[in-house]
Amino acid sequence: MHFLRMAWLNFKGQRAAFNLEEFLLLETAYPFLTLMFHCVLAGYAYGTTDLTDWVIGNAFLLCTNICVFSLGSSFRAERAYGRIRSIMAGKTSKLEIVLQKGFFSGLVSMGTTFAGFAIGCLVFGISWSNISWGSMLLCFTVAMFAATGFGLVLSVLGLMSHQMHLILNLMEYVLLIFTGSNFPITQLPEAVRVISYVLPLTRSIQAARGVVNGMEWNAVLGLLVSEILVGIAYILLAAGLVKYAERVAIKEGTLELF
Amino acid sequence: MKKWMIYWQIIVSTMTLQMKQSFARPMFRFCLICNPIVNTIFLYEMFLTKGPDAFLNHVVLGAGLMGIWGCICFSSVGDINRERWSGTLPLIYVAPGGFGLIVFGKVFGNTIMSLLTFVLSYVTAGVISGQWLYIVNIGYFLVSMVLMIVCFVVVSLCFAYIMMLSRKTELYMNLIEIPLVFICGFTFPVEVLPEWAQAISNLLAPTWAARLLRMSVGQVDKSVYVECTGILVIELLLMVLFTIGLYHWMDKRIRIRATLEVS
Repeated sequence: MHFLRMAWLNFKGQRAAFNLEEFLLLETAYPFLTLMFHCVLAGYAYGTTDLTDWVIGNAFLLCTNICVFSLGSSFRAERAYGRIRSIMAGKTSKLEIVLQKGFFSGLVSMGTTFAGFAIGCLVFGISWSNISWGSMLLCFTVAMFAATGFGLVLSVLGLMSHQMHLILNLMEYVLLIFTGSNFPITQLPEAVRVISYVLPLTRSIQAARGVVNGMEWNAVLGLLVSEILVGIAYILLAAGLVKYAERVAIKEGTLELF
Repeated sequence: MKKWMIYWQIIVSTMTLQMKQSFARPMFRFCLICNPIVNTIFLYEMFLTKGPDAFLNHVVLGAGLMGIWGCICFSSVGDINRERWSGTLPLIYVAPGGFGLIVFGKVFGNTIMSLLTFVLSYVTAGVISGQWLYIVNIGYFLVSMVLMIVCFVVVSLCFAYIMMLSRKTELYMNLIEIPLVFICGFTFPVEVLPEWAQAISNLLAPTWAARLLRMSVGQVDKSVYVECTGILVIELLLMVLFTIGLYHWMDKRIRIRATLEVS
């Protein structure tokens, strides 16, 4: 219960500056418009009207706004608001703090991507009859778990870097290019393909496309299990990085320096 | 003659200062350098199955146009507001050179510097594909580039004055980037959009600037080119008139209400 209360407080803190107009424009209309832009672009580039794969891929990318930008700025925001000292000196485990920050962001991302997928299906005329909604929901849940872990790692980088604008904006494109959301990752040179496999979303996008295209359930499950492992690895990395940042800050006295 | 020389000096000095200030901001550096590179990689992979025509048309020009528009969104559009936050807005507002001329210098400086996005797109596309394409109709291409610069300067001025009315410039700066890229056909022809969207698209000057650029790197039909240029010029003139009207209306409102620094 304490965990949920603190997670809610963290989430409210991240969203406090948002009013309804901003939420509707920046968190709803803009991401859906981006989804439509990428789908129309894909339709033209690949000369196809069946945009199922692109609607799925770009729906997963809708989590970028929350998982990369909002969550990615959260530790930096703690420093700006003067709370970072209390967090670092407090007895609460750093892993718990990291998980609190990601909990509600992950849930909201899941809702956004799911809604994005449903709207994308309606706009681009994709039939709902072949879609197993339970399996899709599972894919979205797993994907958002991994993406939230990734966002948490980015947020911790905010304690060590002054170039967060650059890092967060660049990460948006890294996810766009390397997760296979808009073109197959086999198109990428072999040397850089490894990036795709260490990123979140790559496997869950493949799994979701598999669900729609009739892939064997065991294969889908295998992809989802790997995605969960990627998510766990990111969360552990985030907790480890917080501890490292703490040690560096104590040694150099730079915790609150910008 | 002397008066024009003074105007020129004001524009040049504002441009130089603006370029230095913009380049000092990490977000602008991202838009100017990283954005065209990653956009080119993305578009290259998307259009990999299409031929060399698509390569120059959609990858290089598409990424360049997206890059220049990104720079405008995250710099020119918010520059007046930035002056407000820096506390320098009242100073440039009452400067003897004239506020309009100073804002023009700032926007012009940003737009000229943003042309680097085209160079970076071309170089990135050349490096990743190993193909270095040449522009055959260099004359048409240069004319199209000049018209595109004029178009983006006018659009930036218009947006900058509109944004001056709002306290939420940052929010709107983030919101206008993708919609304009989408509806003006920077990366694909607007003809693939539904008819109602094409009608909106044709009312926007950047659509015609992008069309002219795309035409100039392929087979040029002189009569179609002249027709598109005519439409672009008319739309730009209407936009200039609108911007002048908006400026005078705002100037009057600011003087009556004394709200220059509080938006």
